[in-house]
Amino acid sequence: MDATVTPLRIALVGVPNCGKTALFNRLTGSRQKVANYPGVTVERREGERATPDGRGMRVLDLPGTYSLNPTTLDEAITRDVLLGRLADTPAPQLVVCVVDSVHLPIGLRLALEVKRLGLPMVLALNRMDVARRRNVHIDAARLAAELGVPVVPTIAVKRGGADALVGVVEGGRWAAPGASATALQEHDAEDAERVQRELRGLLVASGYSPPRVSPWFGRIDALLLHPVAGLAILLAVLFVMFQAVFSWAEAPMNWIEAAMNSLGGFTAAHMPAGPLSSLLVNGVIGGAGSVLVFLPQIIILFFFILALEDSGYLPRAAYLLDRLMGSVGLSGRAFIPLLSSHACAIPGIMATRTIPNWRDRLTTIMIAPLMTCSARLPVYGLLIAALVPARAVGPFNLQGLVLFTLYAAGIVSALLVAFVMKQFTRHRQYSPLMLELPDFQWPNASNLLLGLWERVKIFLSRVGGIILALMVVLWFLSSYPQPPPGATGPAIQYSLAGRLGAALEYVFAPIGFNWQIAIALVPGLAAREVAVAALGTVYAMSAAGDDLSAALEPVIASSWSLATGASLLAWYVFAPQCLSTLAVVKRETNSWRYPLIMAGYLFALAYLASFIIFRVVRAWA
Amino acid sequence: MVSGLVESAAIDSGRDASQSLVTRLRDLGFVPGARCEVVARMWLGGDPIAVRIGGSTFALRRAEAAAVRVEISASHARDAVAHAGSSAVPA
Repeated sequence: MDATVTPLRIALVGVPNCGKTALFNRLTGSRQKVANYPGVTVERREGERATPDGRGMRVLDLPGTYSLNPTTLDEAITRDVLLGRLADTPAPQLVVCVVDSVHLPIGLRLALEVKRLGLPMVLALNRMDVARRRNVHIDAARLAAELGVPVVPTIAVKRGGADALVGVVEGGRWAAPGASATALQEHDAEDAERVQRELRGLLVASGYSPPRVSPWFGRIDALLLHPVAGLAILLAVLFVMFQAVFSWAEAPMNWIEAAMNSLGGFTAAHMPAGPLSSLLVNGVIGGAGSVLVFLPQIIILFFFILALEDSGYLPRAAYLLDRLMGSVGLSGRAFIPLLSSHACAIPGIMATRTIPNWRDRLTTIMIAPLMTCSARLPVYGLLIAALVPARAVGPFNLQGLVLFTLYAAGIVSALLVAFVMKQFTRHRQYSPLMLELPDFQWPNASNLLLGLWERVKIFLSRVGGIILALMVVLWFLSSYPQPPPGATGPAIQYSLAGRLGAALEYVFAPIGFNWQIAIALVPGLAAREVAVAALGTVYAMSAAGDDLSAALEPVIASSWSLATGASLLAWYVFAPQCLSTLAVVKRETNSWRYPLIMAGYLFALAYLASFIIFRVVRAWA
Repeated sequence: MVSGLVESAAIDSGRDASQSLVTRLRDLGFVPGARCEVVARMWLGGDPIAVRIGGSTFALRRAEAAAVRVEISASHARDAVAHAGSSAVPA
């Protein structure tokens, strides 16, 4: 084994929806790493595979693209990597062009473009099994002869489906198709004509004929894409999803909460009381616990989203919503990120990577925090229970109505903010939709699990890291300096956080917040749900979890005015009290400017809304 | 929902179509001689529409569809196709 021989650098190229990522998963299994290309937020997926000769191969899954003339950032990345233009990413030594056999023309056209680059190339004819079923027969040998590169059938979703490809790659039976690597030029009409002629020749030679359109899929699509029935079905799907997320997640969330509580109790019981114990129990375990408790909701929501994506439904949802969202300057593609943001804005913001136009993407990122994320629910729950009477209003429950209003307020304000942002964009260049509606297929279980695991890892490691660090810092701020001996108020009043809260009281007085709220908002800046625990601390409660809420309710009900409660609710609809969200925005936009703008405008809206609500409710009540 | 079976399609740099849009449409398969079929239309006369071409289906907004000229095949012509932003012009 020659240690100086580096692994073979392979890149997978193909149009979107060709099964490239499934093939990538098949080749590399879980030995994948997801990072970012330097300087941009496009995801870089790289994996490894061992080879018998010991050399190994490194596989790069390039973003799907329809052409080497890019229209989006990630398509530009694919082109740049192939041309070796990216500093940290050397050009691949072998390009595997993944082509969906069922849709041979569109994939083969790209392959012709790649071939002109002069890099060593192998063509992977994927989904040959589906092609056969749909009466598409391709003579791989003839195609290979005409094209001049090895052509290998693959079935990425089946075990062993990539064996033939691996055999060809390891066997080294590939070579650069042509010494003259033509520089990539812009298409001109003549050039395009030439490519089309060559493509037609290849299609004829390979014996390709368009796939038999299954009448069932035609009927299903007619229903799913119908302007009225389609939207109704979409709403039904969303409703089922949300119901499932809330009801299925409840039990696991309780387990996690109980586990954290008992872990905290165990630690406290077995450690001498003191700063270290307090740090571990309140800072670390309490901090980690408040992050982990949302994991079940995120997993379930993403399970649905990934399943819908794999099945081919999500682009159809984007099609149905495109006009509606376009009226406020959003793309139909913004639907998924905004949906995800109802569990947590962080994966939602990361999901905006599918939006090609930068302005659209930025707008979506900026309004994602306005979606009612699960972290707001503890605060909403506490305040509604304490201050809203459990009365019936017609067939509805008043408390339920208020909760629904809060959800709706989030969505409506998001659309309004998007609309305002639209007015501010100067010369708005037209960004096309041109979205492919892929064939329907059963979601693949292993792809699903792998995708889910990836999301979970990202959430836990990156977010958990930031929140954990912040919780520790805030624990520190809330515990020191300690109260002098003989002090009468709650300990937190004497700490730095307490002093800060007391000073902030002047700022918050016009919107009806008392000093307890002001103090609780300081640690509540890190993460929204922390405010409940902070209120507990301020009112010198020592219970935890649901007990705390139950103990706080009567105190709040008796000492707060309705106007104050309503004002805090309004504050929570807008306030950007999630430093980890801001951190993710910074990462996704590669700049401090946008998180600062986001924090600024959200605080401004929160203050304005609280001010109006406080005055109105006080005058009316 | 079949609106019409089209005999051929051609790209024409129409009023609002930028070159990159036209190039991209071509890359997706909207080339002279290709058969295309409108399989679904949203409200307001079709924004967006779903078009089947070359075995794949694409969602196109009005402005994008307007860049494509089609010749409607005589046997399946319907008014609906004209609304989809294409005009009956020989390829």
